[in-house]
Parts: sequence; structure tokens; C-alpha cells
Amino acid sequence: MRVTAEAKESTRRKILDAAQGLFQTTGFEATTTRDIAKAAGIATGTLFNYFPTKEAIVTTLVVDSHARPTRRLANEQHESLEEALFAHAAAGLRLLKPYRKYLTPVLDTAMSPMVEAQRDDVGQSLRTDHLERVVELARQQGLDAALTPVALQMYWTLYLGVLSFWTNDKSPKQEDTLALLDQSLAMFVSWLRGGEEKSN
Amino acid sequence: MSLTAAELMQALPDVDDGDAALQTLPAVLKESSLRPVPVGRWRRMTLLSSLQAKIAAAYLFHWVRGWFKSADENSRLLAETHWRTAARVLDSMGYLRGAVMKMGQTLANFPDIAPREFVETLEKLHFDAPPMHWSLLREMVFNELGDDPENIFAEFDKQAFAAASLGQVHRARLKTGEEVAVKIQYPGIARTIGEDFRNLFLFMLPNRLGREWQNVREQFDDLRLRLEQETDYLLEAANLQQARSLFRDEDGIIVPRVYPQYSTARVLTMELVGGVHLDQFLARQPSQDERNEAATKMVRGWYRLMYAGRMLYNDFHPGNFLFLDDGRLGLIDFGYILPLDDELWELFRIMDRSLTTGLREDRITAMKAWSGLTDDTSDQMRLYEAFAEWTWCSRDADGPYDFGVEADFRRGVDLFTEMLRKRYSRGHRTTPTIARGNFGWRSLLYRLKAKLEIRPLAESEILATGWDRSDYARPISK
Repeated sequence: MRVTAEAKESTRRKILDAAQGLFQTTGFEATTTRDIAKAAGIATGTLFNYFPTKEAIVTTLVVDSHARPTRRLANEQHESLEEALFAHAAAGLRLLKPYRKYLTPVLDTAMSPMVEAQRDDVGQSLRTDHLERVVELARQQGLDAALTPVALQMYWTLYLGVLSFWTNDKSPKQEDTLALLDQSLAMFVSWLRGGEEKSN
Repeated sequence: MSLTAAELMQALPDVDDGDAALQTLPAVLKESSLRPVPVGRWRRMTLLSSLQAKIAAAYLFHWVRGWFKSADENSRLLAETHWRTAARVLDSMGYLRGAVMKMGQTLANFPDIAPREFVETLEKLHFDAPPMHWSLLREMVFNELGDDPENIFAEFDKQAFAAASLGQVHRARLKTGEEVAVKIQYPGIARTIGEDFRNLFLFMLPNRLGREWQNVREQFDDLRLRLEQETDYLLEAANLQQARSLFRDEDGIIVPRVYPQYSTARVLTMELVGGVHLDQFLARQPSQDERNEAATKMVRGWYRLMYAGRMLYNDFHPGNFLFLDDGRLGLIDFGYILPLDDELWELFRIMDRSLTTGLREDRITAMKAWSGLTDDTSDQMRLYEAFAEWTWCSRDADGPYDFGVEADFRRGVDLFTEMLRKRYSRGHRTTPTIARGNFGWRSLLYRLKAKLEIRPLAESEILATGWDRSDYARPISK
């Protein structure tokens, strides 16, 4: 049984690697599941045993990328919550960079704010992990009380908005995304602080 | 290197000439500079919206109309509104805030007089960006240079030590040990402002008023050119490298070395030049010799760039010069250089005769070639000739010229202000820039109270041009 599990993982990996290669060279839209299966050296039917859709493959790629440990996140000191959140979000962008151009289906499904209704475990973990870190950063800055579920939902929506902008950012080196992220986070934190002052 | 509100206030002249508008100026600037600086970056960024552009346009329209009325009938009425509205508009347009500071720097160069009109302010813009926190800086460096600053540099100071056009400057140390200044631009803002100006321009289209429109266009073109140049760090790097190659150790003039492997369009890494600014240099009460020496280097640097490099250095604001303890002079800002193309080079060659002989008839010939004017007796020609005479009179003098004489400097200020007021600076596309440059170096020498013999300096530097000057050049008497 152990061998079968390994073989399964190996096939899964082959599909993901083949898909990533094709997405980068051919583009997400132009790549078919048949192409992916062929590149992975398996039958198309076999592919569907692993991933029901092409979108599911991208989502898995994205989630896997987030599962890799990121450097320096744990103990870094930040002067403000906006700076801390920026570092966190920017680290996410770096991980997502290889998938930038075909991120839209992931945003529409797994990462969508409506994801709870879908009960998508894969997307859920991605969101939960990201937001848990946000809460921790807010706690370090003494702002966790302001971080209500609504505030977290708002943060996530902003973050997805930035990601969505990023997938289609045509500015040099996607510098506009950095400016948008900076401004969005500044707005969010100032809104959060406003709420904090009122509740005090 | 932005001035604080207090420094800005100090730079303002004492008002004693009874001009009501001038008397309100310090109050207006105080009011503007004391208003809380928008703290949240978000608020500042919302100021980039087109609403602000519309307010600015409304003001500009009013202002532009004023240019073509007679200054006498107009000035008293408009001067106060000009200052007040301009300060307010600039204050409200976050990234233009620096222009108010720039006014302060300009005024600091003219300790005895305030400009009567606001005419040159837009030409002297300095663009401001929101401050960048460390996380954003790191992403910019990562994006531009391919790795985190802590991996690229041995040390990187998280606190900026100076403001730059649309960005900020940080001290750092390379892994090879060199101390460097890293200039980083706020992402995307150059293009944002460019778009704002285009919108502003479109907004003004319905207000088109014939001849005035042409001048507005020119203002915008100047602004756009300056914005493009100042925000293109690759261009500045190229300027720095070209300029640096023109100087030798014995010149005592430093142009910082560029580190191209750590430089892109948005990040510029260059040698950190020590030294102090003009104010601190003067505060040490340097001797006449020390002041002359500093002034000599300033003029030599300017000529070297002009004659050997065909680069006209025009931005003579004091922050661009560093006075080192060992007597050397640092030239640090090459964001706005006018390249002397063949057309300008030919005009400079024609002007050289007049500069060298100091004869009025040569000056008029040169001014005609420059401006395209044909009428020797027009008011415009009178003013051009007078300003040129003032600008150049030190050049053909035998013996040291005393740049610190107040009455002489004031004559230049009056001529310059008159040119600005009458919009006569527009004889040639480059006249405003060049007139400002000429005025700028005279202002710095005035502040240095330098006594300098310019002719031998100019004669030695002009050799680099290879021009045949045999029929008018005079030998230097020892």
C-alpha cells in the first residue's frame, strides 16, 4: 500500500509540474487537460482521478506554494501594522509570482470571499493561514481587538482586489501593484484605528 | 533635504517696501506650512485625484490670464491671490507640496528680495512622493535589483536621510565596503503624476485663449520634460557617469560614482559624498580665500560640464552642492541637465564672442541670434541685453569680480524679475531654463560673497571646445 501512496503522489506531482510548465509557456486559457495529461505521460482519464478541473490544478499549485515555509516571517520587527501587513502580503505575492497570470480562476473559486459557502477545504486553508498571520501581526501591534470578523473579511477582500489587479498589471515590473497594496493597507489600517478609537 | 516650516519662514525676507501683497506672503506660507501635514499616506494618495487637478486648473486659468495683462495694473490685485491660492493648491496636491519648499529654497538664494510674482514657481517644481516604509522599500529593491536589500548590501539604513524627486535616499554599504547613497522612487508615481498633468491639460482645453494657450502649453511641456527627466534614474545615472569622466583629482570636484549593477530606472545607487551644505559651510565663517576657492570650483565645474561635456547644469539650488572638509566640492544632483545639441552649441559659439569681448554690439548680435528678434530698440531686446550684460559682465573683467556687492546683485534680481513678469524669458525654447541657471550660479556666488577672476577660468575651460576664437580672444595677462 505504501508503494501505491508513493506512486499516487508521484503522479500527482507529475501532473502539477507538467501543468505549471504548460501554463507558463502556453498560458492558462490555451492549455487543455488533455495537453497536461499528455505532458505528464498519463491518460486523460487518469488525470481526472486526481483533479476534477484545470482550475483545481491551479488552486493546488497556489496552495502548495503557500505551504512552503517562508523566510523571516516569524520574528521580524515592524514599526507599524501597515508595514507588517505589507511585508506579509508582499511575501504572498512573491510566492504567487510564478502563477500570477493564471491566478484569476483561483481568485474566482478557492480564494473568493464566498468560499465559505463552497466549503472548499483547499482554498479555506489558504485563507485561514493568511488571516491567522494577519491577526497575529495585529496582536503584536496591539490592534487585535479591532480586528473583528467584518474587519478580517474586509481585509481579505482588499487583498483579493490587489491580487486581481496584479494578475493584469501591465506597469513595469508590476510596480503599480506595490503602490496599490501600500495604499490599500494604509487605508485599511487607518480605518481599523478609527474603529479602535471609537470603541475606546 | 526638505526645508522645515521654520527654516522656510527664516528664509523669507523682512518686508519693508510697503507692498501689501508681499507683507501677506509670510503669513500665507505660515498658514500653509503649519497646517497639519496629511499623516495617513492614504489621505495623501487620495489627493492625487482629478478633483485636485481641477482646482489647480481653475487657479492656473486665473493665473494665466494675469500674465498678459499689464503687470502694473495687475500686480497689486493679483499678487496676494497668487501667493495664497498657489500655496493652498500646492499644499493640497500632496506630491506638489515640495514646490512650496522649493519656493523657500529659491527665496533662500535671494536673501534681500522676494519674487514679486509667482511666475516661476511651476517651473521650479520638485515632486514629492509619500514616504515609503521599510517593507515597501524592500519590495522595491527586490523588484528592481532581484534580491532583498539585506542580501545585496552589507548594511542598509532603514531611515531615509534625504528626500529625492518622488522618492527618498538611504545610506548603505556595499559588500565590497563602499559607502553609498541609494535613491529609491515610489512605485508608479511618476506615471500617475504624468497622467494627472495630462488630465489637467485636457481640463484646460475649453479655456483656450489664443496666444495665452501657447504659453500654457509651453509650461506643461517644460513640466513634463522635467518630470520625465527627474524620474528617469537611468538617465540620471548616464549623466552622472558622463559628468564624472570629465573631472580629474586635481580639479577638487567630485561627481559621485554610479554603481550600475545596483541601479535601474527606479533605484539609483551612487557613491556617498560627505560634506556639508552651503548654509553650514557659511556658518563656519570661512575665510575669503576659502569662499573664493569653493566658488572657483563651482564655476569650473559648471564650465567643464558645459564646454567639455556639452551638458548644461541648471539646478543651482544649494542642496545640490556639498562642501567637503578637505576643500573639495561635490556636485550631486544630475536629474535635470540640458544637453547642448548642435543647435544650442552653435548659439553658444556665437555668444562666446560677446562673452569674451564684453562689447555691447556683440551682445546684441548674440541676443538676436538667440531670440530671433530683429528690432534692436524693442523693450524686449533692451531687457535681454541688460540681463545678458549683468550675467556676463564678470566674464570679460580683468582682475577679480566682487560677486558679493548687493547693489549689483539686486540689479540682476530686478532684471530677472522683470523678464519673468513680462514673460520675456520665452525667446528660445531653452531661455527660461538657461536664464534660471545663469541667475542660479550668480546667486550662489553672491551668497558666498566670492571675489573671483572668471576670465582665466573660462579661457582654460573653453579650450575643450576646439572653437576657432583667434579673431576675438584676448591673451590672459599674468
